[in-house]
Amino acid sequence: MIDKMKRWLPWAALIIALAFVPKIFGIYYMNFFITFAVFAVFSVSLNLLLGYTGLLSFGHAMYFGAGGYGTALALKYIWNLPLLPALSIGILSAVLLALIVCPLVVRVGGTAFAMMHMAFAQLLYVIALKSRFITGGEDGLANFRIPPFSIPGVVSFPLEGAPANFYYFAIIVLGASLWLMWFFTKTPFGQIQVGIRDNAKRIDYLGFKVTHAKAVVYIVSAAFAGVAGSVYAMFQNVVAPDGYLGLLVSFTPIINTMLGGIASFFGPVWGTAIYALIEEIIFRYTDRVELVIGIIFVLVIMYAPLGFSGLMLKLKFKWMMFKNKRMRQAA
Amino acid sequence: MDVTASMYAAQAIHGIAFGMVLFLIAAGLNVIFGMMGILNLAHGAFFMLAAYFCYSVVAMTGSFWAALLIAPVLTALVGVFVERFFIRKVQIMGAMGELILTLGVAMLILGGVKFFWGTENLPISVPPVLEGMVHIGALDYPIYRIFMIVLALVVLAIMTLLLYKTRLGKIVRAAVSDREMVNALGINVPLVFMFVFGIGVWMAGIGGVVIAPILTVFPGLADQVGMYAFIVVVTGGLGSLKGAFIVSIIFGLLSSFGIQFFSQLAPVLIVGFMAFVLAIKPHGLFGVKE
Repeated sequence: MIDKMKRWLPWAALIIALAFVPKIFGIYYMNFFITFAVFAVFSVSLNLLLGYTGLLSFGHAMYFGAGGYGTALALKYIWNLPLLPALSIGILSAVLLALIVCPLVVRVGGTAFAMMHMAFAQLLYVIALKSRFITGGEDGLANFRIPPFSIPGVVSFPLEGAPANFYYFAIIVLGASLWLMWFFTKTPFGQIQVGIRDNAKRIDYLGFKVTHAKAVVYIVSAAFAGVAGSVYAMFQNVVAPDGYLGLLVSFTPIINTMLGGIASFFGPVWGTAIYALIEEIIFRYTDRVELVIGIIFVLVIMYAPLGFSGLMLKLKFKWMMFKNKRMRQAA
Repeated sequence: MDVTASMYAAQAIHGIAFGMVLFLIAAGLNVIFGMMGILNLAHGAFFMLAAYFCYSVVAMTGSFWAALLIAPVLTALVGVFVERFFIRKVQIMGAMGELILTLGVAMLILGGVKFFWGTENLPISVPPVLEGMVHIGALDYPIYRIFMIVLALVVLAIMTLLLYKTRLGKIVRAAVSDREMVNALGINVPLVFMFVFGIGVWMAGIGGVVIAPILTVFPGLADQVGMYAFIVVVTGGLGSLKGAFIVSIIFGLLSSFGIQFFSQLAPVLIVGFMAFVLAIKPHGLFGVKE
């Protein structure tokens, strides 16, 4: 009983801490935390592919963008659309896109997979840029209505112009997404994923269908990228090709994942936090985004290929060795 | 000959010239991938770097011909440096490590270029010998475009001779098929691969110098033209020179005629063509399954 309570205690503490964030940091930092939460989910969804299944995608922004554009278009054209349907439409559009793309891409892996995604994302970007009458072209869609967060007849919180409320909404949606993804990786199916990454042939011999399994992971990953995109669209109240479908949007979750460590579930969350801090601090002094990103990529891949969590694990290991040595010397 | 026909001919020459430059870059990319198995995402950035080197050399010496000689070599040296001190270190991590490292290098070069040369468009003028038109039959052809086509063919010929007619080429091809054995025979394989990487980057460099007078030099070069080179390589099949050649010419023509007839949709045409090809053949037109 006490053991069980001990296990839940950190989570309870975390939830309470998250609940008090708006009170402690004030409204200005809400932007920072919401963006962090969105990109944490986006990065973890990418890591379902990259870390768990071993598929590097240079075009995950497609699904982020599909979620964003789906929600934005729905809110623009469907009168009085409630919040959760709007979110669902975002997710559905990402899933739909994934269903179209996945038969083409799950057949390949490695470099071909990465490059095909770069290509498809670029195609989508160009289409969003050129089909001005639907997507608003370069300027994108803006100023659509943000529905309130409400349980009909009980309560209703306005989200428009209330950063603290939006923060709670974002934290709930994104927290739930993280929790679902965590569960997803712990199922037997999640183990097949890891098996595919480590030795696809063996999984095939064991009688599992590798291509089908890859497709399922792919669609799940796209769905959560869609969640992130959809929430981000409602938060920013604007969607535009560069911020949702551009190459840099595809690279951001890869940076986060590499920084945090591809070998662990929470690695990308750490990575997002680290990158967000780097952005907050470094970009106050310089606006040379490319240089900073380039240096991060090169340094991380050369000196800490498992990222922050790998580094932590290494330190822990060293500390244990050190302690062992001390104990042996004392004895 | 009437106006329409000459318009078509001019567009075709433009398309083929652009296709040939694309092919130069894509061939460099393909040589590196085919020989070393590395997809060099920094290739577009090297191409752009060469254009900037070209600008600086022209500014210093006033001679385009000097730039044509020096700038690609300088770029190749940067490439060799990157291979020796960065890429070689991450090769044990497989494709993912290389992709992310070269992506990082691409970002670094882009950032560096913006730092040293700024972001504005820098013009380079065509040398006087190559200005103007030449009469063939009843049509006028711009000399510089023809020069581009000829130069690309010359570089290609040099490459082929180097790879298939020299001792070095033999070693490279042997190292591709069995790296360990060649190494065991006392040949320094990492050195050979460093050389191969240098050659690949040198080809991108030639492309960068040649295109500089037409498009002017600006940081977007890496994205615009470099992206096309990647699309060419992926569509033609990674590592296949034949595929790269065919697809470059198709893309060159698609872009020149596309701009002529429906300028808004030209980029969609090219990317759409690639998506279509990859949908049918995921490893590209002439690609081999990994």
